[in-house]
Order: sequence, then C-alpha cells, then structure tokens
Amino acid sequence: MIQVKEIEIEDNQVKQNRKALAIKYLKFILIPGWRDPDITAREFEIERIKSKRRLFRRFLTPLTIIGMLLIIFCVVLAVFAPWLTKIPLQEVTLPFYPSDTLPFEPPSPEHPLGTTFYGYDILARIIWGARTTLSMALVPVIIAQVGGLIFGTISAYFGGWVDSLIMRIVDLMYVFPMMILVIVIAPMLGTDLFTTLTLYGLLFIPFYTRFMRSTVLQVKQMVYVQAAKTGGAKKFKIMFNHVVPNALSPMIIRFFGGIARTLLGIASLAWLGLVDQTVANWGTDINWAQEQFTAFMAAVYPGLFIGIATIGFMLLGDGMRDALDPRLHI
Amino acid sequence: MARKQTNMIKYIIKRILFMIPMLMAVLIVTFLLSQMMMADPSMSLLNIGMDEIALQRELDRLGFRDPIHIKLWKYLVNFFSGDWGVSYVAMPGTPVLDMIGKIWPKTIELVIFPIIIAPIIAIKLGVTSAKHKNKNKDIIIRFAAILGAGFPVFFIAKVLQMLFFNLRIYTFEEINLPLMYSNSPGYMGYTSADIIPPPPEFSLSYLSVLLFLIISIFLVYKGAVSLKRKKLNYGEIDNKSKRTKYIILGGIIMVTSSLLLIFLTNVLYTFSYGTGFRIIDALLYNDQHHLWDTAIHLVIPVICMVFVSLAPITRQTRSSMLDVIDQDYIRTARAKGVEEKTVLNKHALRNSLLPTSTLIIGNTTAALLGSLFIEISFNYTGLGYYMVRSVFMGDYFVIQGILVFSTIIILFGTLLTDVMYTIIDPRVTYK
Repeated sequence: MIQVKEIEIEDNQVKQNRKALAIKYLKFILIPGWRDPDITAREFEIERIKSKRRLFRRFLTPLTIIGMLLIIFCVVLAVFAPWLTKIPLQEVTLPFYPSDTLPFEPPSPEHPLGTTFYGYDILARIIWGARTTLSMALVPVIIAQVGGLIFGTISAYFGGWVDSLIMRIVDLMYVFPMMILVIVIAPMLGTDLFTTLTLYGLLFIPFYTRFMRSTVLQVKQMVYVQAAKTGGAKKFKIMFNHVVPNALSPMIIRFFGGIARTLLGIASLAWLGLVDQTVANWGTDINWAQEQFTAFMAAVYPGLFIGIATIGFMLLGDGMRDALDPRLHI
Repeated sequence: MARKQTNMIKYIIKRILFMIPMLMAVLIVTFLLSQMMMADPSMSLLNIGMDEIALQRELDRLGFRDPIHIKLWKYLVNFFSGDWGVSYVAMPGTPVLDMIGKIWPKTIELVIFPIIIAPIIAIKLGVTSAKHKNKNKDIIIRFAAILGAGFPVFFIAKVLQMLFFNLRIYTFEEINLPLMYSNSPGYMGYTSADIIPPPPEFSLSYLSVLLFLIISIFLVYKGAVSLKRKKLNYGEIDNKSKRTKYIILGGIIMVTSSLLLIFLTNVLYTFSYGTGFRIIDALLYNDQHHLWDTAIHLVIPVICMVFVSLAPITRQTRSSMLDVIDQDYIRTARAKGVEEKTVLNKHALRNSLLPTSTLIIGNTTAALLGSLFIEISFNYTGLGYYMVRSVFMGDYFVIQGILVFSTIIILFGTLLTDVMYTIIDPRVTYK
C-alpha cells in the first residue's frame, strides 16, 4: 500500500512537470513515434495499479466470468424462447394433450431430445421453462429480502422491546427445519403458483432479518451517524438517509446467492409436485420423468439446466461478495 | 479453569431452562398448523355407516367441537404424557413415538458415515484451496465444490442411481443376495423381530464385548497403579488429570460393556426385538445376509450424501482461512521458521475453525433429521421419507410429531454449538 501512495505522488509530479518535460524533450517529440521510455514505464505501472484497484478488475475472475456466461445463456433461452423453438408454449403445458406423439419417445428430427410425459417435447419445455423457472426464483428472494430489510432495520435501529420481540420470533423460526416447514404448509394453501412463492419468501424472511440487523448495528456505530445525531437530524431521517443506504450493500451482494438457493428450493418443491403443475418448470420435468429408467435422459436434461442456472448465480454471487464485501478480505 | 467450568455448567442449565418456553412456542405453532391441516372427520365417519345422531355424539366425544384453548390444553397434556397420537396412514396403527423410534435409527445409520467423513475431507480441501489461492488447484476445488452445491440433491441421486442401474454394477443377481431388507417402501415395517431370530450364539458381538471388558479392566488397573506408586521428583508437575483419565475411561467402558452383556443375554433373548439399527441387528443375530444386504444398499446414498455435504464446508473453510492467513501472527510464525505445514494446520486452521464448526454442527443436526431428498429418491425409509409421505397422505399426527421432534433436536444442536464455541475458542465466555 505504501508503494502505491508513493507512485500516486509521483504521478501528480509527473503531471505538473509535463510542460517542462515537453520543452526539454521537444526535439524528440518532433520525431514521430518517439516517447521517453522512463515516462512510459511509469505510466504503465500507474495504470496497472489503478486498474487492479478498479472494482471491475477485481470482479473479473475466471470463475465469475464462467458464472456470467452461464447466466447469460439461461437468460437468452428465456428471452428468445419463441425464436428458439417452433412449438408454442400452449402445446407443452398441461391442459393440452398432444395426439401425434407418445410419452418418452427416443430422439427424432422433430423432437431433438425426445419427448417426456404426455408426449411433450423436452427441448421446447426446457426453453419455455427457462422463463418461469428464473422468474419463479426472483419472487421469493425479493419478498424475503425486502421483509428482512424492513424488520432487520426496525429491530436494530429502535432496539428495546421491539428488538426483543422481533428477535424472539426470528429465533422461533430458526428452530424449525425450514424446508420441511415449506413442504408441510405449501399443500395446505393449494397449488396456486403465487401463493407458494409468497409462502416461500415469507418463511425465509428471518434469515435476512438477522443478517440485516447485524449490519445495521455495525453501521449505527459509525461516526457519520453520530455526526447526524449531533447535528439534530430526526430519527427517521437518520435511518433512511444515513443508516439504510450504507447497510444495504451487503444485502445486495447476497441477492445472487439468494437467487441460487431459491432456485434450488423451488426446483425441489416442484420435484415433489407441490408447485403448480400447469407451469413449465424444470423441477416438474424431473418429477415426471424420474421413474423412467429406460428414458432417463428425459430427467437428466432439465436437471442439467437447473444445475447450469444455479451454478451461474452461485459463481456470480461469490464473485460479487469477494469483490465488494468490505468485511471479507479475500 | 475450575471457575470457568462451573460457569459453563451454569450456562448450560440456564440454556436448557430457556428451552422450555421455546418448546412451548413450538408446540403452539405446530398445534395451529395441525388445526389448519385437520380434515373434517365427519365424512369418514359417515362412510363407515354411522347415523346422524351417533355421528354428533361421536364428534362431541372426540372433542371436535371444543373451543380452541381447551383443544390446545388437551394437546399439551397429551404431549407431555407421551401420547403423540397414532399414525393412521403412513404406518397404520403405530403410536407416533414408537414410529419415530423405529424410523430414526435407520436415518442415523444412513447419516453417521457422511457426518464423520465429510467434514474431514472438506476441511482438507478448504485448506488446500486457501493455500493455492487463485491458482489452478484452487479453481478446480472451488468448481468441484460448487458442482456439489449447484446441482439439486435429488438430481445427483437419480443420476447415480441410473448410472449404476444401467451399468449393472448394482444388481443383486451377481451378488446373489435375497432382497429382504431392500430400501423399497413395500418392506417398510421390517425389523429383525419380524423374521424369527436365531437364538443368540457365541458370535462376534460377544467376543467384542469381552474384549472391551478386558481393555477396561486393564485401563482401570493401570490408572490405579500409577495413582499409587507415583513419586514426584523435584520440578515435576503432578499430572493428576492424566491418571484419573485412565480410571474414568476404563470405568465408562466397563459399565457400558457389562450393560451390553446383560442386554445381549437377557433383553434380546426374552423380547427378541432388535435395536432398530439394521447393521447392529444383523451383527447381533450374526446374520451375514442382512448385514451385507444393508451395507450394499447404503453405498450409493452415502456417496451421494458425502458429495453434497462437502460443498458448503469447503467454501466456508476457504473463506475463513483466507481471512486468517493475512494476520500478523501467521507472518510471525513463518518468520520464526515454523514449517509451512504446521503454520497452516495449527496456527491458521485452528483460528479459522470457528465459523466452520458452526456450519458443521448445523449440517449434522440437519442430517440427523434425515436428508429429505436423498431418502425420498433412494426410497430409504427414514425420518425425512416418512415426513413427506405423511404430508402427502394427510397423516397430521405424524407430521406434528416429527416436526416437534426435529425442533427438539435443533434446539439441542444450537446449545451444542454454543458450548463448542468455548472449547474451540477459549476467548469466548458466557455469563
């Protein structure tokens, strides 16, 4: 770090002395293509250190790049679905029963990956399923994070009995095995898609609440919050203008990791058949094809795509955490 | 030290007392859940052929019309008197407590090997990954760990199943074993008691118990002798704890082995009912077929489970190692000339083990509840399997029972985590 500072100072000096240097080396500047090798080397060094410190540079590790490519692949599938497959969505989801194909056919020119249950085309279901699977992962994470943000901030900022009440409820929720609780409650509320997703999001609020509370408690000790307090700012103004924006970044960093975990969780629910069956979903595909040992690729392809999406989000989340989180010194 | 230990005991007692209100809250929540789940029993009673007046009387007798607080009171009283209800679909006619007692050993049998082996491998991988940070080795390990975390558990299980099914490695014609203890749900009620057991003979188990007895007698003797003849030289520290350790260890082994002997000779013979652990049962009854059958059925689930549980621990170990490895005391140790191996394994790993240990204990408690997806995809009739089965069948006594049981385990798991904190990191103290 000391070395970097020195070079910065030298950099400023170089900029100030540039005129003098220009006069000194005038004869050489006139020669086309000539530069002082010393200055070039120094500038190169400065640029290198600067770029190392830049956020984007730290962010671009090989694994993160792989993750981004995987996510881009899935998003392309989702966005360009009508162009990638000729079969419309209505012909691969449940109220429609295809008459010309049999279930679990081997691959053929019309169906490049074969057919799955009820005779639906696997490739078309995967491509259309990318939209629903990705957006289904998004809803619970947003609900859980916003809920955690609100309750965590209130709990940490106000303290007292509000804090102890919220934290006791969070402790109670922590005692339950979360996945089992989802599996128990989800069938009671029916198979409506949005209900299931909301339930999933609501049950995962406690995790983010506890996380947000710890960050807000750290931010509350900062000098700028005390300065605002001394300046006579009101409680809510401090909370919304000073505390929340500064406590928000760790939460945002955990967004992608949360998406990866939720994608897996929703896929597991769909695999158990607890998510709306009329929606094209990769988990449901595995559920339909898992007992078919003669045509097991019908279950393998959707699983691969779940893996691709999850790994993409996990790698991106890890990369973001490594690059941005000030608490981890990696 | 002594003061700290008494503090610790006080703390543990305090925590156990705090568990009681928590357990009450859990019971109320599960009661409300079951109220939501409960179907109207009048339909099924009408189907039996009951007339209207008798139906009303029966509903009154069952307490179906009671106000909710009286229902709750009845539920709590029944719960603490050991009556957790009777399963009526998942394992018809069995009381829920007995059912858990039957199922849980199977889950433990599945889980015990991954619990032991996975943290060891994972910590090793994490240390290697932190040592070669951002090099090829690190990238490979991180990617492998993320493969285990990224693919769904049930998908990995299914792929392994399909692989072994299609390659015909995992078939039974070649090994020539009867399918008595298969993992299929058709055989769910089986324990050793159902098959007429041979009378206990002088088998391997007796031999091992006798061996334990001999070892314990030797340990106690050694401890006693060293206690007696020890003379302290000048400057020598009296290591009292080491001597008493022998006696305590020997005593424990002696008591357990003698208890086992009594158990083997009397209890097993009179009741002829197994422990529920299928491998232990097979060993006790000296039944080679069942032993190998169970062991072979456990291989692929265990591999799958180890692979899945490696990922989070590896990643956690890596990140906490990287936190520690830049500290001053690591540089001091290196400058002092300590071997790199010792620096990593002693100075760095010990200090970075705190968050990892939390994770490991959390995983262990979660695993003891039965890895749900592995059990379902391998049709392994453990706790998680019956949980999902009863959810689908609406067997809400079982759901309630297993939910409460798992919360109790998790409560004790968190207590264990907090106690482990003080052992791993002596700086942590509780009041």
